[in-house]
Amino acid sequence: MNQAEVSQLISKLRIRISPRHKNLKCPEGPQGRLNKLRKTVNALFKYERLELNYTIADETRGYAERLISEAIRHGDTHKPTMEMADYWIEEKQLIHKLFKVLVPRFSDYKTSYTMLYRAPKAYPDIVYPRSVLELRGNPFPSILPQRIDQRNFIHNILLEEAKKAYRAEKYEQITKSLNEQDVVDK
Amino acid sequence: MKGLLTFKRIKNHLTFNFNAFCNVLFGQMPPPALSFANPVETLKPSSQHLIDVQQLFKNSILWAVPKHRRTIEKRLGRKFGYITEFYKMLMPRTDLFTCNHCGHYYQRRHLCPNCYKRVKDETTEFQEVIEKELGLDPIEQEVVVLYKGEKTKKPEEFWKGKRIVELKREKPVWFCRNLLQRTTIGNSDCKDVKPSELA
Ligand SMILES: [Zn+2]
Repeated sequence: MNQAEVSQLISKLRIRISPRHKNLKCPEGPQGRLNKLRKTVNALFKYERLELNYTIADETRGYAERLISEAIRHGDTHKPTMEMADYWIEEKQLIHKLFKVLVPRFSDYKTSYTMLYRAPKAYPDIVYPRSVLELRGNPFPSILPQRIDQRNFIHNILLEEAKKAYRAEKYEQITKSLNEQDVVDK
Repeated sequence: MKGLLTFKRIKNHLTFNFNAFCNVLFGQMPPPALSFANPVETLKPSSQHLIDVQQLFKNSILWAVPKHRRTIEKRLGRKFGYITEFYKMLMPRTDLFTCNHCGHYYQRRHLCPNCYKRVKDETTEFQEVIEKELGLDPIEQEVVVLYKGEKTKKPEEFWKGKRIVELKREKPVWFCRNLLQRTTIGNSDCKDVKPSELA
């Protein structure tokens, strides 16, 4: 099997995935870990924006991305994809959402399907780092503030004017020197 | 013969310890109550054989006493901590920035706490409304949340194929639009002189 066929087998995700998994607190062992992740993946598809501990958010992100990309690649008639969706999504009305809402939304995306932000923490508190995980294109107000148009800031206007004045001065000097040269040549 | 022996024993006890004598006579006494220490009694050697000085040094006095002075590095490390691992001194933080949007402080590469709180409150409200609206029906359309009076701003075709969830309040005004309008009208008999030729 050559390289091209291998790349066809697995969806290529657009997020960075670390080679080692992150440890979660799981007294029930590997099965408990899967159950925990299943809960958060389901919640992510349901609410589209979650605040979680960083480790579980990062783990959840990979599973959710993989699921969406499989759904986009194979569609809802592919049996293994459907089984995977059935396993990872506990509330069955969300399977419809995955194939009928999220697939059209993400099918022409060139970026990752989810975003992960670090949530703020109060200074002296020593707590586990929290983070905000969201699906892109959600109906909520955007988490990062809209970029303000900085051109109209007072210092930018003043700097712009100063630049113009400096340039005009320079041009004047150049023309004057050129004229003088012409006079000398003649 | 037996009686003589017991008598001798009692006599020994008597010379030795009055309490023991009482025990022999009246059986087991109740446990001793708190009392002032009797210096004479404590000074009395408990065992009959002489104190072996070498034994004493070996057993009790020299337990857990440092034999060597700690090095200066170790002492300083314990006092101030280690920079690479755990530093006990207060250090200035260089990872705090002011938010361009609201001016609050935030940690580098983290969300601004003030902006995030506002968004979070709005988001939780949206999520509650959406969850109540959709229920257990299969979700087949993109959900749009609209504030009061926002639906009529765009034509009907724009909302086609979207599930609209309406909130009962108007869009929050996070920035005042009427900054240039005067809220107070100055007195007519004001005698302030306006500065001229500033530029
Ligand atoms: Zn802010």
